[in-house]
Amino acid sequence: MSDPDKIWPTGLTEREAEEVHSYLIDGTRVFGVIALIAHLLVAVSTPWLG
Amino acid sequence: MIQFRKFALSKIGRIAPRYLPFADVATEDLPLSRLLRLALFQVTVGMALVLLVGTLNRVMIVELNVPASLVGIMISLPLVFAPFRALIGFRSDIHKSALGWRRVPYIWKGTMLQFGGFAIMPFALLVLSGYGEAVDAPAWIGLSSAALAFLLVGAGVHMVQTVGLALATDLVPVEDQPKVVGLMYVMLLLGMIVSAIVFGALLTDYTPGRLIQVVQAAAVITIALNILALWKQEPRDRTRANSIAPVPEFREAWGVFVTGRNAIRLLIVIGLGTMGFGMADVLLEPYGGHVLDMTVAQTTRLTAVLAVGGLAGFALASRVLLRGADPIHVAFWGAVVGVPAFGAIVLAAPFHSVAGFVLGTLFAGFGAGLFGHGTLTATMRNAPREQIGLALGAWGAVQATAAGIAVALGGVMRDLIVAMPGSDAFAAEAPYVPVFALEIVFLALALLVAYPLLRRLAGPEQRAHYVSTETTDLAAKSVP
Repeated sequence: MSDPDKIWPTGLTEREAEEVHSYLIDGTRVFGVIALIAHLLVAVSTPWLG
Repeated sequence: MIQFRKFALSKIGRIAPRYLPFADVATEDLPLSRLLRLALFQVTVGMALVLLVGTLNRVMIVELNVPASLVGIMISLPLVFAPFRALIGFRSDIHKSALGWRRVPYIWKGTMLQFGGFAIMPFALLVLSGYGEAVDAPAWIGLSSAALAFLLVGAGVHMVQTVGLALATDLVPVEDQPKVVGLMYVMLLLGMIVSAIVFGALLTDYTPGRLIQVVQAAAVITIALNILALWKQEPRDRTRANSIAPVPEFREAWGVFVTGRNAIRLLIVIGLGTMGFGMADVLLEPYGGHVLDMTVAQTTRLTAVLAVGGLAGFALASRVLLRGADPIHVAFWGAVVGVPAFGAIVLAAPFHSVAGFVLGTLFAGFGAGLFGHGTLTATMRNAPREQIGLALGAWGAVQATAAGIAVALGGVMRDLIVAMPGSDAFAAEAPYVPVFALEIVFLALALLVAYPLLRRLAGPEQRAHYVSTETTDLAAKSVP
């Protein structure tokens, strides 16, 4: 509680919180690309548009 | 109102950290339950291996009619990443994160790669096999996406296993390392056996939909088990997070790693021994069937015999190592057991002795168990504390590469001899005996190379001396 860097409620510092956030962002990007590829492949074998 | 706010604040402040994946403190003694939980990552590795090498291998050839040579290439693609294990391990050693973690970020990334690969794999395979409208699609789509899927899973497996083993080594004191190695091997074996049975049962009535379900279920199970394995395992190190010391280059760190402690010699022994034990893995069943006229049910049980032998080897190795035996000695005796075991397998053909063959297989598994356990424990024990990732990466690189080459070499040798002109005149065992003989040669070479290690690493005080000089050496190099 005495450390002014700490952010409520997790007790992480700002730098630490940013790192946790970067994992979230990276994860979203990677899963986005994976989902895109998966959809493309499904569209190639069983087209659902047109 | 103020009262309530204060109450809520204190409550959340106390609860929230419980839901964060940090270990509270670096506890002195690690309960077995926590180690078992950590070992779950080996279950996912085993599952991925079985899925790639066993289940999908068969599904691609039999159900999807993909040419066998193409399947072989796809399955061996992950091997490309095996040598990079040393680099991954090294990167995790020097990783700098604000959270003070160095292993967790890599295990997490590896898990994501594994998940991503499994997520696109079934669709890639269906396109590759020309399912539905994919017949008209250009071939490169199926080829490149299937290759991508296999590469992602392979890279993920290498990453998770290397850094996971490094984390396990970080967490336990030196005298408990044999226990960890045994646990890791048993969990890998368990993951492989259980998933082989489950995948086999689920895919007996094959439909494309079922294939998608099974592979994607594997993806979800992978991510769930790996999160469970990681949760609150790695302690946070604030001094490391805030240190500004320059990190060594890979070349530099490697130079420190290989000098003095016989690291290269140990790696050569691991490579030779793994080749020696690994070449027959895919040939034991056809050998039993073709040469000794065993039934399919009998040859399938051979794999179980090999696994039981391996488990006995791990158990014995854990026992004697925990009592203070030298891991190099254990590995040495494992290779020693392997030589007569493969001798018995070779001699089973002229004597037409199924009992001798099964006994040989059992002891080959037993020797492989002793050898694997001994060499991995030796690697862990010899690694300087801040180069654990690099040491285990080098172990994994050599071990995975040697195992991959061994299986390929065994298969190619057999096929070449079968394809030779006039091979009909050969005895039924002719294609197999040279492979088993070559395994004996590899094991003998491993013994030869390992022999000087037995004496040089004999005294514990000598070993301590090696380690301490290395650490100071590295420390001297990392300080400007």
